[in-house]
Amino acid sequence: MPVVPPYVPFEYINMYLPVIYTGLIIGFFSLMAIAMEKRDIHILILTDLVGFAMILIVASVGTDLAESFILPGLVVELAEILAISEILISREMRKIQSKDMNKSLSPMDMTYDMEILTTAPNFIALVLLAFGVFLTGFTGGAVAGGGILLYIFSRKTRGLPVVEIEGISGISGLGWCMWIIGFCIFFLMPQYWLLSLFLAAGGLMLKVATKMGIIGILMREEYGKK
Amino acid sequence: MAFGDIVLYINPFHLFMFVTMLVFTFLIAIGRTETQVEAELGTLDDKTKKVDLKEFKARRFLSIICGIATAGAMITGDLYNLTLFMSLIGILNIGIISSVKQVEVLDSVFQYGLIAMMCSLPLFGGAALILGACGTVSLLAIQSIKPTAMMIFGAILMFIGACGESGIAPFFASKAEMFRTPGSPFLLIVHLSSLFIIIRVIEVLLIICT
Repeated sequence: MPVVPPYVPFEYINMYLPVIYTGLIIGFFSLMAIAMEKRDIHILILTDLVGFAMILIVASVGTDLAESFILPGLVVELAEILAISEILISREMRKIQSKDMNKSLSPMDMTYDMEILTTAPNFIALVLLAFGVFLTGFTGGAVAGGGILLYIFSRKTRGLPVVEIEGISGISGLGWCMWIIGFCIFFLMPQYWLLSLFLAAGGLMLKVATKMGIIGILMREEYGKK
Repeated sequence: MAFGDIVLYINPFHLFMFVTMLVFTFLIAIGRTETQVEAELGTLDDKTKKVDLKEFKARRFLSIICGIATAGAMITGDLYNLTLFMSLIGILNIGIISSVKQVEVLDSVFQYGLIAMMCSLPLFGGAALILGACGTVSLLAIQSIKPTAMMIFGAILMFIGACGESGIAPFFASKAEMFRTPGSPFLLIVHLSSLFIIIRVIEVLLIICT
């Protein structure tokens, strides 16, 4: 049977069962809320709550293997909620189009012209990108991705050139390759651990940053067509 | 052949399922989509529902990935990988069908996607509980551990999760309407993956509970 190492504080061990109960209770109540709710968009948002309860239960174990369960769990939840919301959007668009072919599908008109949207984003995005590169790794990727997202959302939501978007996806793929190569070097040639560590950190930063950037593409595809 | 401390856990049953799944994946990869022909009421005309090339390519890609993921779930000896492959199959099943144009089918995919999302709670939660109770996710190591109450609870949770992700019996109602869209060979992988996955999950749960 597994043995909990003696240096783990007593409070942490005591938290194991209460956290599992909390997760199950949150999941149960979210399911009840989903059963009572009638509108699809609310059901989708409530379903995400069940995902948070899942992360609670996995986090209660609290080892490094459990952490490696949390990451794919989060990614799966994100991917599924993106896919399902896309399905919801395209279904509603088809419903509207079957009634009236000429109706505009944009949720709101984005023709406003504010000075702050043309001057500030460059600077803030640059600062965020530089800070993200300085941090590297997962956190840096999230910060740099926030910068890219801010830039895309505020300046080029309508009609960002296709070349830029494919470039972002390409960089994302390169970051992925760097991460995988770093991972392989770590196993095959452990003496080059520093190189593989930096490869993985840089690759992860590129990957997470461009993943945030790709969310901007979704905006373009749905609402960018005029 | 040894890769560090990696221990391979394979028996003939896994190999058989793995090869069968790969053969099916190959057959689906070289297949072409069907074209549904519907007779119309009142006239002698037929209505054909075709799948255009772009949609065909996207679906073929997703089906091949789904087949490979199922084959991977057949041969893995690790609870962690099995969980990940299962959730990957759930996403891919949504993806294969989500590009259709019929509103009813999209409705059904939406319901199935919600079920798959909710069932990631028991799936990952069960795997984490088993990890917490055993201290390992290797099936080879779990085989020799006597089952405790927490392990059996985790196994039950995992079974619920697998049912939801692959959309079998209690949740099939959400999935049934999905198959009324053209594109037969690629839709078959949705059925096939859920059948294979459930066999493998029952085997894994028997390993955990005995």
